[in-house]
Amino acid sequence: MLKNNPNTRKKMQVSFVVRDAEEKRHKRGVNSLQLDHNNGRLFSCGRDAIIRIWNTNQVNMDNSYIQSLEHHNDWVNDIVLCCGGRNLISASCDTTVKVWNAHKGFCMSTLRTHRDYVQALAYAKDREQVASAGLDKQIFLWDVNTLTALTASNNTVTTSSLTGSKHSIYGLAINNSGTIIASGSTEAVIRCWDPRTCNRLIKLKGHTENIKSLVISSDGSHILSGSSDGTIKLWSVGQQRCIQTIQVHTEGVWCLLVNETFTHVISGSRDKKVFMTEIRNPYNSVLVCEEKAPVLKMCYNIDYSGIWTTTWNSDIKMWKLPKADKISNQKNSSNLSLNEQQPVVPVNTNEEKLIKGGAAVEKYVVLNDKRFMVTRDTDQNVAIYDVLKAVKVESLGKIDFDEVVKSRNKMVYVPNWFTVDLKTGMPTIVLGQDEVDCFAAWVSATEAGLGVGQTENGSDPKVNYGSLLLQALLEYWPQPMVEIDNDIRGNEYFKVPKHTPILFSEVGGRTGCRLLVRDAAGDTESQLLHEAVPSWVADVVIDRNIPRFIKIPFFLLPHPLMVKQDRMKKDRLIANEFIQCRKVCEHVLDKILMENPAPTGVNSSQNNSDTSEGSQIPAEDKIELLCNEIVCDPSMDLRTVKHFIWKQSSDLTFYYKTKPNFS
Amino acid sequence: MGTNISQLERDIGSDFPANEHYFGLVNFGNTCYSNSVLQALYFCKPFRDKVLEYKLKNKRNKETLLTCLADLFYSIATQKKKVGSIAPKKFIARLRKEKEEFDNYMQQDAHEFLNFLINHINEIILAERNQGKVKASTAGVSITENGSTLTNNNNSPNTATTEPTWVHEIFQGVLTSETRCLNCETISSKDENFFDLQVDVDQNTSITHCLRCFSNTETLCSDNKFKCDNCCSYQEAQKRMRVKKLPMILALHLKRFKYMEQYNRHIKVSHRVVFPLELRLFNTSDDAVNPDRMYDLTAVVIHCGSNTNRGHYISIVKSHGFWLLFDDDMVDKIDASAIEDFYGLTSDIQKSSETGYLLFYQSRDAEK
Repeated sequence: MLKNNPNTRKKMQVSFVVRDAEEKRHKRGVNSLQLDHNNGRLFSCGRDAIIRIWNTNQVNMDNSYIQSLEHHNDWVNDIVLCCGGRNLISASCDTTVKVWNAHKGFCMSTLRTHRDYVQALAYAKDREQVASAGLDKQIFLWDVNTLTALTASNNTVTTSSLTGSKHSIYGLAINNSGTIIASGSTEAVIRCWDPRTCNRLIKLKGHTENIKSLVISSDGSHILSGSSDGTIKLWSVGQQRCIQTIQVHTEGVWCLLVNETFTHVISGSRDKKVFMTEIRNPYNSVLVCEEKAPVLKMCYNIDYSGIWTTTWNSDIKMWKLPKADKISNQKNSSNLSLNEQQPVVPVNTNEEKLIKGGAAVEKYVVLNDKRFMVTRDTDQNVAIYDVLKAVKVESLGKIDFDEVVKSRNKMVYVPNWFTVDLKTGMPTIVLGQDEVDCFAAWVSATEAGLGVGQTENGSDPKVNYGSLLLQALLEYWPQPMVEIDNDIRGNEYFKVPKHTPILFSEVGGRTGCRLLVRDAAGDTESQLLHEAVPSWVADVVIDRNIPRFIKIPFFLLPHPLMVKQDRMKKDRLIANEFIQCRKVCEHVLDKILMENPAPTGVNSSQNNSDTSEGSQIPAEDKIELLCNEIVCDPSMDLRTVKHFIWKQSSDLTFYYKTKPNFS
Repeated sequence: MGTNISQLERDIGSDFPANEHYFGLVNFGNTCYSNSVLQALYFCKPFRDKVLEYKLKNKRNKETLLTCLADLFYSIATQKKKVGSIAPKKFIARLRKEKEEFDNYMQQDAHEFLNFLINHINEIILAERNQGKVKASTAGVSITENGSTLTNNNNSPNTATTEPTWVHEIFQGVLTSETRCLNCETISSKDENFFDLQVDVDQNTSITHCLRCFSNTETLCSDNKFKCDNCCSYQEAQKRMRVKKLPMILALHLKRFKYMEQYNRHIKVSHRVVFPLELRLFNTSDDAVNPDRMYDLTAVVIHCGSNTNRGHYISIVKSHGFWLLFDDDMVDKIDASAIEDFYGLTSDIQKSSETGYLLFYQSRDAEK
């Protein structure tokens, strides 16, 4: 059934995030903020794909965490709070816009109209209308009341789209009454529409770079824009021209905040500074604070006496704002400092409040065993992850990363079977069938430390990492098509944490389905899975098919020093790549030198013999295998020999010779 | 032929420069691609001087393409007569041995030949300098970038660490490609060496326009996003290529042969592109070493004909203030105003045209 699923047209991949059940701190930069002024609840969304809610009324900010809203699986770029704080709308690099119940904190619906990263949102309070825009150059207008009324059966939304932009949109604004909407893009032009008719209004030219931040006055007569060219411009919509240019920053202006009366602008920049400036008289400007990283977003605190700011770092800080009249008083001093380039002293040296962020994993090395991974986070802490079990296994603290990699790497070669993505600051492991085949890694269960599984005749079973992991990830997925007595769940070796999020997505594209390991049992999720799970996953999880063994060809030749060179023929053999050298020794002994007519592992995909039956002395004690003049350890497997000793793409070549005492 | 030669001497008259020789090169069957480039290079004075110097310093070397070239240049420079023609027999024979693609009687691309010759000579010099200690690296590769192609010379680490050869000193410039992530606005830049710049041609434009297009900003977006190290993710980015180090001799290749899918072959683009006698580059990077270099046109290889397979190459060169046209074994003095005839056609009708294909601009500060 699943194999004929039309959804498998595009290549699908499975990924999961290795993380804690609850991640109370932002892992990377925080892209946007919204404060509910009714109750002081602060919503923050970040590059870790999580939206968090904080209680800013808390005296001790360490206790401010309320909950996380999780459903996105890439950067959340923007959020708006609407319906008097009842609902939250979010925009993400996963190309979706999501509607949330802000009080209870669950995702109500997902809008998939955008075809690329959704960068910005705008909210017209009086009309309960939200606009979304992004790198697909599209702007969509949404009626919030329609969005929040969506149900599973009634899930069609009509949206208006504003056309005309030929460039990726990074900034968006709408006035409260919803009479004008403005977009900022890499075109460096501000384009305006009337959201009621979707007609184009005007284009405002003057910036020389991307425009990432826009604010429109309530009456729609003026627009403030912040550009990557480092300037802030005030535009008259009526006159269709720039009437003021504010130059207080030395780098791109990324966020703007304007007071109620539209007299003062607060601006945050890549230059890490936040300025408060009188719009009509830019000489009246004060440095509110200097952050430690480029400023991404600001919002007013509950009583408008200060602002919350976010940066590339994961901290969220609250800074006191100077009184507006105090700025005008500083006219002369500020004027001086601008002209003489004296260092401007910020009015705040320390933040009023701090919501501490966490560290993001920023570097990783997968060890040779292709199971463990060494990581380092932004606080320089080194840790070890077990990718197979989807857990962090060791925290090593602030020690030398390269030393750890060096000391933990063993001389073993296992093919790559997963890729790692760190965009959210938490390791996301991707399993696919692309360049990296997730079924490429066969290993001995004993060597992998997975304990002895089902051992018939005392043999060492081989396990496939990708297959085991997929089985563990989908352990709770009930499979209705499978008869009860055949209902084998998970794998016999290990389980993965139940809170692990799993994603099914198109390769390099959009997400089809996201769920937690434990939720696979739910009716809705189970149904979703039947549509989302690609056939190659169903093969190992439902049908319990065994992935193909990977074979390696090699030549076996008598060593020139062999006393008895009875066979000069160049033998080209094929064996499973995880076969150990001792098997080859057995083959030499049994099949070439004909000492024992016992079956061997070479040339057969079954490994039904461990030691040759007829002999008390293991073959490896009689036969020596050499590759590139190096004697191969009998427990080394073929792919390891090829990778570390042979080091060529041509077929691996062994020379065998009998050990002196047995010749 | 005899009348031609005396005609040339008569045309130049008493201004005939001392110690200068104008010799045509005999065509061995479609070898005009080589003849035209060799003439252009001969009149790039810094190059000619270095080749002749090589000839005097290396008397008893085994035969290479460079010794053949040096012998050819030497033989022109030491002719008793001022004008005439010469058969570059040894050079062509050696060329056909060195590179399979040239070992036939088919028409070849003059740019491919120039690219091969410069890279190959450079390798010979490097190999001789290292005396087999360090193996010279392989021939140059072309990378398509930004709609224009740049010819990369040896980028192997040993070239970077060894001192530049005289080929480097004459022809090598440095391009810098700057990529700016649109999310974090961090600029990352990468330098690449070049021996010539390959530019697209547009109708009724100039070389300055072609060079500006070469450095136009390209946006990496949708499925072609940039993997930003700073953002740890794929983001949109703007990329542009600018000249960081201007070479002594700037060789420009006008990409006049476009592959047309509907015809399944290369079509010649005869667009009119003005190449001025004086040139200054405006697509230089902010940290350029010598952005104000002033260039003078010294030689042009011209393609005559309507497509790649059929056609002919000639060259015009500037020598001691006047212009000469070399058409295989024939040499004529031409008026500077005649250069305009080689800019191209203003109409888009496919017909035979005589158009500038390779331009050699020499830096004014190269003349001592």
